[in-house]
Formats: sequence, structure tokens, C-alpha cells
Amino acid sequence: MIRNQQGIHKSKGGLIRSFVSAENGKIKEISISGDFFLFPEEAFFKIARELNGIEAKREKVQQKIEEIYKRENIQSPGTLPADFTESIMKALEE
Amino acid sequence: MEKWRFIDFGIVDIRDMMAMDEAILKAGEENTFFFWTPKKSIILGFFQKANIELDLAQCKDYTITRRISGGGIAFSDDRCRQINYGVVGTIDNELFPMDIVESYKQICGVLIDTLRHYNLNAAFRPINDVVVDNRKISGNAQTRWEGKLLQNGTLLLDFDIEEMLRISNIPKEKFMDKKIASVREGLTWLDRELGEQRDMIEIQNVMKQKFEDRFHVHLRSGSLTGKETEFTNSLLPRYYSNEWVYR
Repeated sequence: MIRNQQGIHKSKGGLIRSFVSAENGKIKEISISGDFFLFPEEAFFKIARELNGIEAKREKVQQKIEEIYKRENIQSPGTLPADFTESIMKALEE
Repeated sequence: MEKWRFIDFGIVDIRDMMAMDEAILKAGEENTFFFWTPKKSIILGFFQKANIELDLAQCKDYTITRRISGGGIAFSDDRCRQINYGVVGTIDNELFPMDIVESYKQICGVLIDTLRHYNLNAAFRPINDVVVDNRKISGNAQTRWEGKLLQNGTLLLDFDIEEMLRISNIPKEKFMDKKIASVREGLTWLDRELGEQRDMIEIQNVMKQKFEDRFHVHLRSGSLTGKETEFTNSLLPRYYSNEWVYR
């Protein structure tokens, strides 16, 4: 089954909008946008890229985002990895 | 007293301005404070998508570009009653703190001091807003590059709420009055707060003075260096491209 719904979640740092489709329990297409802040900006694209293909489960998504945050030294004032996870899970649960 | 550079770019095309903005950060060699006045335009935050945020069919007479910092849309109507500023500074953990929110607070202090000069109850609202009586009057966006920061922001002197809603990607048929009322509740602008129109140059001069006082520096008028101009020219194609704006 392919789903592609918008998941909107507001963190203290801004609004996160995710469009996610899953197929056979795995994330197939994902796009994240919004008015949050994240440094370094270029590292942001790695989140969607690396979530592609992973299991569409909250803990797997959260784990992957945390790993990217650590590796890329990401700072996002007012927005936590859990906020991105929430937006993505909302899109998946729609 | 230390001298920093000051530039007033005047009325500019926002694509040219965003290229110069990035060039001052990446090719500049001194701390700089600058103003510009945008023409009718929309600047998307780095992580926003044009077709999600905007009703593109309604934006045909707007110049649209994207900036290198995050945050939300900066919308400028043709009233031109908006002060836009930029600051480029070396992060020294004193004048420009390492901590992101602290550095917003420091630069936003210039706006707060300016608004207090007009006896308004201005305050910093983390992460990056300045409010008067809890209504947002200034939005700010920061990015960092090789030990330097670039902060852009706007101080609203006037604001056309209906026009902003018209170009936004929201359902227009229903509750328009309610939407206008809700924006009026959360947002404000100087003309409304003061009940009169003050001269924009006068307000800019107060801002300059408050900037000098806060950073204990003297602002000296200057212009872009050859290196910055060259770098600007190399960036222009990106700021004018559909790939950058509509990605």
C-alpha cells in the first residue's frame, strides 16, 4: 500500500511538514519542509535521504534522525529530533 | 573606537540582495551592518517549499527567491514600509555569542532598544522574534559560516494583512474575517503602535545609533569590496533560478 499524506507538527522552533509514503512497511518517498531553523543547513537533506528505505516505525525513524544529528553536529534551536519524528509519524498515520 | 562597516542598499531586487547578503558573509572581511528596502517580493526560508506555502497563481507580480537561512516567509508588499537589516559578525563569544538563541537576543536587542526609544513595550521572544505587548513586530533569521554569523530581519512599519493572506496557500473562501482578526491579534507594526507614520530614515537612524551603542562601535559608511562584488556575481544565477526557488 502506498500512502502520501501531510503530517504537520509544530515545534517551538517552527512548523514541520512531512509528506511520506510507505510501501511494504518501509519508507519509500519522503519530503520534509517548514519554517524551522537547522544548522548546518545542508545537513538537513541527509535526513530525508537516509530515512528512505528504513522501517516506517517510530523508534526506527527516531533512531536514524538522532544518529544523523550526532554525526553532522546538527543544531536546531527549538526543534528536537523527536519533533521531526512526530511530523513523519503523523504523515504515516494519516 | 572600533569601526565597523555600514551599507544602505536602498531599494533593491531581492534576488540581488540575497546574493549580496551571502557574499558579505562568505567573502567579506569585516563586521557589517546594513539596510535594504525590498520591492514587492517574497523570500522563502531555506527549508520551505514554494508550492506548499504560497498560492502561486496569486503571486505572479511578486519576485520570489529563497535565502540561505531557515525560518518563514519574508513578505514585502508595495507599501515599502518595512526596515530590513542584515548583520555579519565574527562570533567572538562576547559581542556575538556562540549560543544561537543568545546571539539572536543580542542582535534583536538593537530592535528592542529602537522600539523602546519610541516608548513601546518591546521584548525578545525566543527563539527569534521581537514583540511589542506580546505581538510580533520583527522576525529574524540567522545562519552561520566559518566562525561568522549572518542575521537578517525585518521591522514592520506597516503591513497589509489581507494581501499576505491572499498570496498564502490557505483556503480563502471561509472565515476570512476571522483569519484577518487572528493575524491582527498576533502581529503588529510601528505605525499602528504609534498611531502615526514616522519617517523611515529617522527610524533607521535611531537603529544605527542603538547598534553603535550596543556594540560599542562606530559605523562607517562603505560599500561592497571587489571580492564581495565578484562573489555576488557568481551567486546571482542561483538566486534567479527556478531550481533554487521551486525546489
